[in-house]
Amino acid sequence: MSSKTLEEEIVETLKNTFPDFVVDAKVQRKKRVLVTVKKDNIVDVARFLKEKLEFDHIASVSGVDYPDKNEFLVVYHVWSIPKKVLVALKTSVPRDNPHLPSLIPIWEGANYYERETWEMFGIIFEGHPNLSRFLLPEDWDRGYPFRKDFKLRTKPE
Amino acid sequence: MKREEGKGSRCKFFHWEIGKIRDWKPVKDLLSWGRAWSLWSVHLCTGCCSPELMAVACSRFDAERFGTLPFPTLRECDLILVLGVVTDKMAKRLKMTYEQMPDPKYVIALGDCAISGGLWWDSYNVVQGVDKVIPVDVYVPGCPPRPEAWIHAIRLLQKKIMEGK
Amino acid sequence: MSIMRVRWGPQHPVSGQWAFWLDVDGDIVVNMEPDIGYTHRGIEKIAENRTYIQNIPVVERTSVFDAGNIVFGYVEAVEELMGIEVPERAKFIRTIVGEMSRISSHLYGLCLLAIATGFETMLMWFVNDRELFLDLLEMLTGARITYSFFIPGGVQRDLPQGFYDETMRRLDYFEQRLKDYWKMFYLNRTFITRTQGVGVLKREDAIRLGVVGPNLRASGVEADVRKDEPYAAYDQVDFIVPTEKDGDAYARGAVRFHEMEQSISIIRQALKRMPDGKIRVKVPVAPSVPKGEAYSRVESARGELGYYIISEGGNKPYRVKISAPSFRNLPAMPFLAKNVPMADIPTIYLSLDLIPLDVDR
Repeated sequence: MSSKTLEEEIVETLKNTFPDFVVDAKVQRKKRVLVTVKKDNIVDVARFLKEKLEFDHIASVSGVDYPDKNEFLVVYHVWSIPKKVLVALKTSVPRDNPHLPSLIPIWEGANYYERETWEMFGIIFEGHPNLSRFLLPEDWDRGYPFRKDFKLRTKPE
Repeated sequence: MKREEGKGSRCKFFHWEIGKIRDWKPVKDLLSWGRAWSLWSVHLCTGCCSPELMAVACSRFDAERFGTLPFPTLRECDLILVLGVVTDKMAKRLKMTYEQMPDPKYVIALGDCAISGGLWWDSYNVVQGVDKVIPVDVYVPGCPPRPEAWIHAIRLLQKKIMEGK
Repeated sequence: MSIMRVRWGPQHPVSGQWAFWLDVDGDIVVNMEPDIGYTHRGIEKIAENRTYIQNIPVVERTSVFDAGNIVFGYVEAVEELMGIEVPERAKFIRTIVGEMSRISSHLYGLCLLAIATGFETMLMWFVNDRELFLDLLEMLTGARITYSFFIPGGVQRDLPQGFYDETMRRLDYFEQRLKDYWKMFYLNRTFITRTQGVGVLKREDAIRLGVVGPNLRASGVEADVRKDEPYAAYDQVDFIVPTEKDGDAYARGAVRFHEMEQSISIIRQALKRMPDGKIRVKVPVAPSVPKGEAYSRVESARGELGYYIISEGGNKPYRVKISAPSFRNLPAMPFLAKNVPMADIPTIYLSLDLIPLDVDR
């Protein structure tokens, strides 16, 4: 029987523990694991990743806009200091109702990332203590800049 | 603060005499020389040309030998060095800073971003050139401009002041 | 207890391009909120509008202090997407440029710490010694701080004639200077009083907040991308990762100092062990990158830098997300600025080495 790599073990544990929540889990390459979950169950999977699989160091929270699929993809990248593996925890939210539970109770460092993702995409993280203006000017009213329908200038003024 | 035009004709005569003396060419040249060689700059770093500020102010390039000293108190400064990109959020503070400075005041726009928006010309949050916010005296192109270009800009500004512009 | 809200910055001698709101009770700071965004240029949005090669100067301006390592992460991610392998000689040259960039960034960070603690002499010394390495980088790349030297596939130019001797000469001089720094700065009683015990960040808090880089290592966590996930030529040179246990401002300064010593050793080894060969793989000017995603991690001077690039085919990226080290270190600032005297605020945040350009992107 061939021995499994650490990344394959992580994928298998996740699939066995959450057979209904995990939409897809695979090893991308060495030290990279991709996991896609349903948005309502993201808190349980995240808690398991932190407490049982030792993914303790949040690296980034990104939003990606897919207008043709009418959804936003929210990706949490988390590194495990003991295991030295990075997991990308992905979930999709509908573009016309982008609500998602906040993962601050699990990874406190996600606070400013979620605030920035709200500001740039309009994704609402439920339970976030302070979704308010962060990077943009205080009187900004031109929409969400990182969405694909927000166009940049095309010629100098 | 309006100066009180009071105490009859003696005050008026005094002001008229000071004005005449100040307009006399040798005095005017002396005042311009004094201003040109003691340009105190405001601590307002705006963008990514700011690492060169330290390099220029320290002993290798030594901008201080021309009298330029970064000074904390706004009311005693007469030069704003706009270092790089000016965003919409910073533009308001820049304008406020400029208005709080006493006359005469000068502005040097350093870097392509301060002149025209530079690399970020199509950004949603960048002012395309700081001269849309405050009037500029010297423009220094470069991304970032070399320290030698900074020194040249300070010398150009000094020449401009000495010529009475 | 009467709380007064005070705004610090952006026009302030010690604030840099950001501001904070401080809630003060007398002289003690009770709460602190950062007010960022003064240099927010929308790099991630602009990057979607440029080709992969045009993006190199764009992402470089995320943090010009450490321009070598900033672009490193970007080209690693693009190379992973394109599936190209960089020649060995290029890996060694990249390592050398990355380490020189790290030294010049640490010198800048330490000069800010010197300003915070009132040490103008050290400010002058640090900035002048930074010129040693900026000259070498100019000899190699043509520019002092924004060199855009790395491209997907390798590096732009080979080492010029005389670079080896000049680098060795300067490294010997700098090594002597480091000994002077230790005596003048780190053993100085005033500096020790002003930084020891100030802004203590414990190990659990550092991991919980997501802090990276020398700030994390000063709290006793041995995490360095160059050892955890070696890239370029870091698996072919010997070095240690300095850590400290105390987690205060002094420890953070000391970690940066020891990292500079290690960088000198890495540059020497890389120059001696450099193989001959090509310096880049041929890549088209506007390369078309296959569909996929990549997350690359590099250790920049301020900490771990992550690039998440999604490609949907074509020659422009679909999404570029930059996980900048100063943004990851930002939560430490309000955490540490509770119940401290106002005079300690510059020491705390300048010891964390937060650069607003990095934070805002």
